[in-house]
Amino acid sequence: MRSSDRRRRASAIAIAVVLCAGPSMAQRPARGFDVERLYTSAPGGGWFVMDALDMRGKLGGAVTAIGSYARDPLRVTDGVQRLTVVSDQAFFQLGFAGTYDRFRLYATFDSPLIVQGDGGTIGGYTFTGPSVDPASSPDAIAHGRVGFDARLVGDYDAPLRLGIGFQLWIPGGAPGALRENYLSDGPPSDTLGAYTAMARVLLAGDYGAFTYAGHLGLSLRQLSDPVTPGSPQGSEAIFGAAGGAKLAACRACTMRFVLGPEVFGATALRAAFGTNTTALEGLVTGRFEGTTDDAPQLRVKLGVGGGLNAHFGAPEARIVVGVEVFQRSTK
Amino acid sequence: MNELSHRGLHDIRDESWNLYGQYTYITSYKPPIHAPYTNVNGSPNSLWTQAERGFTSTFTFFGGVRLWPGGEVYVVPELIAERAFSTLHGLGGSTENFELQKTGSEAPTLYRSRLFLRQNFDLGGRRVEKTSDPLQLASVVGSRRLVLTVGNFSALDIFDRNNVVGDLRQTFFNEAFMTHASWDFPADARGYTWGATAELYLGDWVVRVGRLAPPASPNSYPLDVRLWKTYGDQVEIEHDHKLFGRAGAVRLLAYRNYEVIGRFVEAIAALQADPTKNAAACTSYNYGSGNFRAPDLCWVRRPQVKVGVGINVEQYVADGVGVFARAMFSDGRTEVDAFDSADRDFSFGVVAKGSLWKRPFDMTGVAFAATFISDAHARYMSLGGIDAFTGDGRLERSGPEELFEAFYSLNLLRAIWFAGDYQFLANPAYNRDRGPEHVISGRFHAEF
Repeated sequence: MRSSDRRRRASAIAIAVVLCAGPSMAQRPARGFDVERLYTSAPGGGWFVMDALDMRGKLGGAVTAIGSYARDPLRVTDGVQRLTVVSDQAFFQLGFAGTYDRFRLYATFDSPLIVQGDGGTIGGYTFTGPSVDPASSPDAIAHGRVGFDARLVGDYDAPLRLGIGFQLWIPGGAPGALRENYLSDGPPSDTLGAYTAMARVLLAGDYGAFTYAGHLGLSLRQLSDPVTPGSPQGSEAIFGAAGGAKLAACRACTMRFVLGPEVFGATALRAAFGTNTTALEGLVTGRFEGTTDDAPQLRVKLGVGGGLNAHFGAPEARIVVGVEVFQRSTK
Repeated sequence: MNELSHRGLHDIRDESWNLYGQYTYITSYKPPIHAPYTNVNGSPNSLWTQAERGFTSTFTFFGGVRLWPGGEVYVVPELIAERAFSTLHGLGGSTENFELQKTGSEAPTLYRSRLFLRQNFDLGGRRVEKTSDPLQLASVVGSRRLVLTVGNFSALDIFDRNNVVGDLRQTFFNEAFMTHASWDFPADARGYTWGATAELYLGDWVVRVGRLAPPASPNSYPLDVRLWKTYGDQVEIEHDHKLFGRAGAVRLLAYRNYEVIGRFVEAIAALQADPTKNAAACTSYNYGSGNFRAPDLCWVRRPQVKVGVGINVEQYVADGVGVFARAMFSDGRTEVDAFDSADRDFSFGVVAKGSLWKRPFDMTGVAFAATFISDAHARYMSLGGIDAFTGDGRLERSGPEELFEAFYSLNLLRAIWFAGDYQFLANPAYNRDRGPEHVISGRFHAEF
């Protein structure tokens, strides 16, 4: 056999091997992950994301219920096509906190309400659109969270207050695929997601009618998949700031109105502040709250906004509502 | 809560909130059982003959908050890990550990078992003190009142309660003593549902009604929350009394479910009319039988009615000693939709608190239960048919599952209990040719 014949036969075999080799290497299934990056404050924290650090008095506490709807939190593009993998995501959070003096211990539980989107192939990846509704997941908790905050510097109404906070995120479980429905970082088609932890430095203050808060911290995240578009890339730095005006609701009453923006975000440490590795979101937040100690107080709050850099989980638009009952006891 | 009350930080008699928690670990061991056959012709549902060890581990928080006068909201997150005997197959109405869930895994799973609103409308009568407990805020209410509950909860939170048996995390282990084995109460695969109930308290009488959401497919996790299309209606009448100065109660419970389920005779008829409609050829929701000669409910599921009626009696006979009995008759025409594979049942037993022997927080008890299947159900299984939990692929000699259980629960430091338990079960999955099963269990339980 001549060498040219051998080479032609070898090439033909190689081509056949490639063509016959299972799924195309250029189309890989994309795995899901926990898209949501609205990291809410502790029950009683005041803002949706930032914390007012105004714990005080004897034993107090708070109970909170928050609902959030995000539009298009995960969009993937290859520069030519665009695929909205997660188009609608809503969750409901219940939380409880106990406070004593300048300390707070709390727990929250997030249940998915709706997660839906589109599947398709883009950029060499095949995405499966999520599908979650209350009937399909009647008792699911996407994740639970236990946390501890402490105010270290300043009194509860000081112009400058500093504190620290720690959180442990406990993955929830529901029969079926949490991860494929973009509710968890855990292994695919498994009830157990991945544990995450968060540590923050907290900043807050009140100066006359102006109130502000901020945080800077670290989210320890196990999942790192820099290749798949939109996926987390390991641990993230979290940051944010809020500020607003405090207005008495009426001359004689003990309710006030606080209005101001909250801007918050997260960026992957391995590619800090890259466009596709940074989520930046803003909310215009208004809250109506009682100001009396030693009696249960009501707080109702509303936030409307969306992604300022609509990548990495920051949605195109978001609306958040919250209702809180809290009490600070000085006796 | 008592500790906070002692420190003057909480009003334990008129609560605006409370928080309780519990942790329970149950471990069970089953020696090998005798069986001339197991999983015949592709059935996957036999109780395995080899020795097995199972466990459950549950960690639960019970939170309650008073929102306005008479209005309370409760939320109960729970963390569970488990391993069942034979992947939770092979038993009809006598699962050895009541904590086991159909969706369980050995990996700890966090979920929300309850989230509901309760509204109390006081209608007068003598004042009744409600103590602080999980799922109950301490308050004083009228003996005549209307209580509405709406949200996510278990039917067992409202109906078929029995104060002698009490909390099974402190008494019996077997599911047969948790409620009627043949009460197919609507629930998801964990045992909880969404719905609404109303309870009318009129002194010693109580009337309870409720409409609850069934699973979307039998024994599945998703619910069908379209309560106007498929639903489970429950009605209960309770009378509390004193017999020779001792407290007691009688409860009559009836249910009428309208849900998508299959009838045994229709599954058999479908196979006889067309042999291709067999268990191995199911094209819709099914339990995974590979028996091409057996009928299967997958071919005949449609919305239809399932009914049952039962009685629940409790009576204290001495200080700290109570007896109980339950019996229920369900129509037996259709498959189990959400609870046990059982069509009729009765149980009775005695529970004694340790005050008799100077250990007031100890408890001990013995009880017997029997569960039955209908003739149609037995014929379906004799032809190789299976349902969610039972079906050995063959049933030549059917008989009731018969269970005997004895336990002792030892209390330490008021908030911790260690318990030992023995169960004897004859005729697992109603099959006289298999078993008996012996189960030895231990339990650690702590509360705060």
